[in-house]
Amino acid sequence: MSAEAEADGQSSRIEINGVGKRYGDLQVFKDINLEFREREIVTIVGPSGCGKTTLLRCIDGLLPVNEGEIRIEGDVITQPREGVSMVFQHFGLFPWKTVRQNVGYGLKLAGAPRAEIAEKVPYYVDLVGLKGFEDAYPYQLSGGMQQRCGLARALTMEPSVLLMDEPFAAVDAQTREILQFELLKIWRMRPMTMVFVTHSIEEAVLMGDRVVVLKGRPSSVFEVIDVDLPAPRDRSTLAHPRFTEIREHVWTTLMDEVRAAEYELN
Amino acid sequence: MDRVLTFVNSDRAYVRWGTVLLALLAGGLLWEVVGLQFNQAIMAPLIGDGVDHPGTLPRLGRYLFDDPEYLLSLLQSIQLFATGFGLALLIALPFGIILARLVMLRVALESYILMLYVTPMIALIPFILSILGFDFWPKVLVVYLFAFFPILYNTLEGARSVKPEMLEVAKSFRSSEFAIWTDILIPYTLPFALTGIRQAAGRALVGMVAAEFFLSTSGLGEELQTASRNFDMAGVLATILVITGLGISFMKIAGVFEQKYSAWRGLDR
Repeated sequence: MSAEAEADGQSSRIEINGVGKRYGDLQVFKDINLEFREREIVTIVGPSGCGKTTLLRCIDGLLPVNEGEIRIEGDVITQPREGVSMVFQHFGLFPWKTVRQNVGYGLKLAGAPRAEIAEKVPYYVDLVGLKGFEDAYPYQLSGGMQQRCGLARALTMEPSVLLMDEPFAAVDAQTREILQFELLKIWRMRPMTMVFVTHSIEEAVLMGDRVVVLKGRPSSVFEVIDVDLPAPRDRSTLAHPRFTEIREHVWTTLMDEVRAAEYELN
Repeated sequence: MDRVLTFVNSDRAYVRWGTVLLALLAGGLLWEVVGLQFNQAIMAPLIGDGVDHPGTLPRLGRYLFDDPEYLLSLLQSIQLFATGFGLALLIALPFGIILARLVMLRVALESYILMLYVTPMIALIPFILSILGFDFWPKVLVVYLFAFFPILYNTLEGARSVKPEMLEVAKSFRSSEFAIWTDILIPYTLPFALTGIRQAAGRALVGMVAAEFFLSTSGLGEELQTASRNFDMAGVLATILVITGLGISFMKIAGVFEQKYSAWRGLDR
């Protein structure tokens, strides 16, 4: 697999038209209209409980929407779609499977030939930096390595859409930073449409080409911010004045709401 | 004092096995002394003097190495046990997982399962006798009933506790229901099921003896009855030892599987 061939990887457009979600009487979000372009990283931030993770699950087809529709490449999503992979905050690894078996899980389900699995699994295990740990079980790995495994499992499917559900929230701060830059590097090798949900404003601005801010109760899209920071993003991005500017902007936007919510409680 | 405590709580292998050996020797000695005090129709010693006090171990040796009829009884019992227990395994394991997957079916049957789980199956023997009679299969049913509910109950509880996150991953990766079973439900449930299987092995043994006692007498149950009727306590105790040995073997076998398939469990967070 050469780098050029990978750069031609599939990528899909996602349209979210007037989408709303209810749990019984509780309206989580409503009237969400978004369009994610091909080979774009869109991050979604919002206060906890705003339904950003729920929205991501709707895009994956794990949860049905109550209003509106979500389309990927024109197809209305009613169930998980081929070419869409998700990385979970809870890792979702199977403790009785080795790293190799966990990474090959999706391919095996898709009925991929043995030779293909034997070729792709080691490639992606290596890509996420787990070489040498193929036969380890998840409990033998640190949180960061477990999420590398979760990432490899998603990448092995060579998806056109990668959905990231607060993937680094359960990982310690240093590892988190390392993983962020490694993910960006992997994405540059094979750019796909990536929707990245996070509660970290810093992470949202660092990773996203655009940042979607969800706000309100029920929540809806408050603002979509173009992050005009130079590519490639790396550690130096964090020191860029424009980075600080955008981060502060998002912070102020969200803090109004967090404060309001706090007063509401008092 | 400290040194005594250190010694008593030592985890060295030779201390451990030495303690086990000593405990067994002490128990055996007690048995021997008590046995020699009584008439042979009331109690038999472990080794005995071979005249007024026939021993249990010599009798056990004769049973196992010099008594083809006894071996036939043993085989008969094992056959009964294996058939009843095997059927219970074959039905209870998949049924437990199905019940965990189909909420409505579980809700409908839950109270029955709980009732039958706690019912002493031995109380059902009169019905089985009056309805099904004395054949081999009514006895199998008794063993089956003794074994079925512990396996079902533990399997069901295990399968119910599968983490929803795992099922979510399966759905996201477009897993078929069949693959959900093989990738998640079965490996996740197996350690729980094996706990039930270990319990069930003990119960099935009770069922085996009860069936051979109360339905048409056969196998080890019959040997026990005959010896008892002849006031042959050495024979009774030797047969009890055989049954104990069977029980311990089944437990050990189940334990080995439990270890093998639950390695991931204790270490999983």
